Amino acid sequence: MRKLFILIVCVMAMSSCSTQKSLYSWYDSEDASYTYTKRGTEKTLEEAMVQYKKVIEKQKGVRKVVPPGVNAEYGFLLYKAGKKEEGLALLKAETKAYPESEKFISRIIKQLEK
Amino acid sequence: MSSCAEKITRGSQYPKMYEEKPLTIAVMPPINQTNHVEAKDYFYTTLYAPLCEKGYYVYSPMMTMEMFQTESAYDAEQFIEADLSQFRNILGADAVMFTIIKSWKRNNVGGKIKAGVEYILRSTKTGETLYNREGLITVDTSVNGGGGLLGPLVSLAATAIKTASTDKVVAGRACTVFVLSDMPEGKYGTMYDKDQNQLAGKSYIKATVKK
Repeated sequence: MRKLFILIVCVMAMSSCSTQKSLYSWYDSEDASYTYTKRGTEKTLEEAMVQYKKVIEKQKGVRKVVPPGVNAEYGFLLYKAGKKEEGLALLKAETKAYPESEKFISRIIKQLEK
Repeated sequence: MSSCAEKITRGSQYPKMYEEKPLTIAVMPPINQTNHVEAKDYFYTTLYAPLCEKGYYVYSPMMTMEMFQTESAYDAEQFIEADLSQFRNILGADAVMFTIIKSWKRNNVGGKIKAGVEYILRSTKTGETLYNREGLITVDTSVNGGGGLLGPLVSLAATAIKTASTDKVVAGRACTVFVLSDMPEGKYGTMYDKDQNQLAGKSYIKATVKK
């Protein structure tokens, strides 16, 4: 009984320091985006896009929504790759999900449309 | 259990975070005080996801980097003590995260990376420092993380963001997650505005974490 009590106290002490479950699922998107920005090749761009798509479609985190910036990055890259309509739709999805991004995203759209 | 024994709450350690309640954060490219030139790149990419996981809206570093370069704002050194209102006007950012990489050492034999980094979050409204913490973190990239009191934090770094990245990127991320673990949560966090009484860590922390 005493051992059980000690165990419970230890578990409680540990859990008080622990961090909760992730808010979002990131998969390999960060690394793919990092590799693309470093190398800028067609292949690294493709891999980044695969990862963004996965993040957008398969959210298993606590919030069950796309994390900040991912719709925007994916849309930005699609627009630059010539898929303008699809890209703009994603940039707008960013402001819909995160209205606080409006100023930034509208500036980006203006730059792209120049 | 000693790691839990700090007596200062987040509310008293970081009162301005709770007064200003920043939501949007722009991440500046790190200020690199080491001879390891590439550390700046590794670190820049490791800040974004951990800050999103704390519940903030973080501007995509990939997209802001282009903007910073065209606006001649790529060098964080010139902004760390300067007026930050332009980040508010241009991006809509409530706060700007600066990082100073003070040391970066890789031990190839032991698979350990030791990073000394200071994190400074400043308000674009008042210019005041909202959050500041420094860590000297040794990341053991040679073995898998396990139990112990550091287990929960380490497993967040290692598993929440499963990657096939290089050890250096993993190390940078583990350092960021560890040091920012006592940062009050933002709007999208489950503990937003409810973590005032949780304990804050020491403002300078030395630790070893496993990948």
